[in-house]
Amino acid sequence: MTANIYLPSIATVREVRPETPDTSTYVVSFDDPQLRESFAYEPGQFAELSIFGVGECPIGIASSPTREGLLEFCVRAVGTVTDALHDLEVGDKLGVRGPLGNSWPTTEIEGKDLLFIGGGIGLPPLRSLIQYVLDNRDRYGAVQIVYGARSPQDLVYKEELKEWEDLPDVDFHVTVDAGDDTWDGAVGFVPPFLKDINPSPTNKVAFTCGPPIMIKLVVEALEEMGYADADIITTLEMKMKCGVGKCGRCNIGDKYICRDGPVFSFEELRSIPGALEV
Amino acid sequence: MDRKKISKADLGRWLDTIAGKYELIGPTEDEGIIQFGPVQSSAELTLEYANSLIPPKSLFFPPVESLFAFRKRGEEIQLEETKPLQQDRVIFGIRNCDVGSLSLLDRVFCDDLEDSYYRERRERTTLIALACPTPPRSSCFCTTFGIDPLSPAGSDILLTDVGDVYLVDAVTDKGEELVALGEGLFAPLTEGEEKELQPPPVDMPQLDVRELRERLEALWEDEYWEKLSLPCLGCGICTYVCPTCHCFDISDVGSTSDGVRYRCWDSCMYSDFALMVSGENPRPTKRERTRNRYFHKFSTFPSRYGTGYACVGCARCLVHCPGGVEITEVIKDISAKEGVSDR
Repeated sequence: MTANIYLPSIATVREVRPETPDTSTYVVSFDDPQLRESFAYEPGQFAELSIFGVGECPIGIASSPTREGLLEFCVRAVGTVTDALHDLEVGDKLGVRGPLGNSWPTTEIEGKDLLFIGGGIGLPPLRSLIQYVLDNRDRYGAVQIVYGARSPQDLVYKEELKEWEDLPDVDFHVTVDAGDDTWDGAVGFVPPFLKDINPSPTNKVAFTCGPPIMIKLVVEALEEMGYADADIITTLEMKMKCGVGKCGRCNIGDKYICRDGPVFSFEELRSIPGALEV
Repeated sequence: MDRKKISKADLGRWLDTIAGKYELIGPTEDEGIIQFGPVQSSAELTLEYANSLIPPKSLFFPPVESLFAFRKRGEEIQLEETKPLQQDRVIFGIRNCDVGSLSLLDRVFCDDLEDSYYRERRERTTLIALACPTPPRSSCFCTTFGIDPLSPAGSDILLTDVGDVYLVDAVTDKGEELVALGEGLFAPLTEGEEKELQPPPVDMPQLDVRELRERLEALWEDEYWEKLSLPCLGCGICTYVCPTCHCFDISDVGSTSDGVRYRCWDSCMYSDFALMVSGENPRPTKRERTRNRYFHKFSTFPSRYGTGYACVGCARCLVHCPGGVEITEVIKDISAKEGVSDR
């Protein structure tokens, strides 16, 4: 962060990777070589991306700090700023303000088996932790990934999914709501798909991110399987603005999602009135 | 510094001396509306006022302010931070409710992610508070929240009108510097005056807020919020005139090659305040927005910042609400023994 908490740093787009028809990965690096060296973040943190003249919006950092050099953001074109982000090409400039927010609990989960459940564009924030865990493999137990999207073309990180599938120490499952001619994998929504896999809750922590309805049903499924709320962790997407706990938008109870989150356990969320009402 | 006095005739001379060295800001009257603004001379100030329409928080956290300018030059983007102040300032005539609100806003803007714009304005401003006239306005209730309208707490100097003179309490170094500027205008009090020159005690209705937070927190699901929100027009005036509200929006103006990023006050009472691009809204109706406002004032702000309640009893919201929603009635309702009363 700069001394002025509202002042972004200028970065350049180094690579654009289309993921789905409306979603692309932007690989960026800071123009200031010193900042490139010093910028430190934890998996699960986010940044405010700026298109000057259009505005700013919060996007989770999809890369892991264990992979040096470049920052990745996976952006779906859904609004004014994200549409403008989608006009960016390699070499174009943008503003990056961050890192902001808390992070996935990388230390607390050491030695645990890990279950990741992602839906659609909910995978990128999980991927920062997945990459972190794979790069620190001996600190963590078994890794299970369950991912789903509306259709085969809505799956993000198609190449990386294949890599995960091929890794001997990762148990990878993927499903789509509706298949097509190219798809010979599982078909069905994530929550029942997860129930069929029936991952044991023993010594396990589950991480989930996706559309609100998916998260709701996934959590119900996990609780049925015997997972404790403290062992179900998510990252919340609410309308953040300033990212620094001042503008008053993203509060749940006395927490600001941008400052105290975006990562929360369901045990925390259940103790906050209204936190799960969206 | 010991208590001093200054004659009413000399007050203007002192303020004019200050205006020669600082930007002097004080209460002015325009068609019946009192507002705090910069003046060149003390003659522009009014001393006949209860309080301003817009709280002087606007002098620290302006309704609209530029954060930085951006310019595209070839491939490069240049950012230029906006300087919040050109000159050190003195605010004359601030009331203690509004002084109290600044200590609450300090918690928001000067936490470990410090807002440099607010911070610089606070550091470069000296506050001369003016003790409230007695009797206070019938709507005032600052003492409910522990604010003493006759105390120098939170300001640099307190002036108290006791007839022909003002009592002068300079309680900080910044305050003493200003008093030093008025050489010959201030006199110590004689022993007799120390006893005699006292403002009349403030008599203000006091609301019971001892268990307000606990009682409020038990009412999250109560139908009260629905009822309370019925007369609300969603106009946001309660937040606009509130000295403790701090919600804002950030936006860009200009083109992609030349423009300004600014912030402006926003209101949690607006329907699109928390609306997300997905169409989801965590506070979709007036019921949730009204509840959020009172929870913020009486539960989540004190809990987050370890302060008292985020209300200073200035009564601006209840005076200006077109729907007649009165925060004092809300406090009474919440504090009513058997749940909430049927309004």
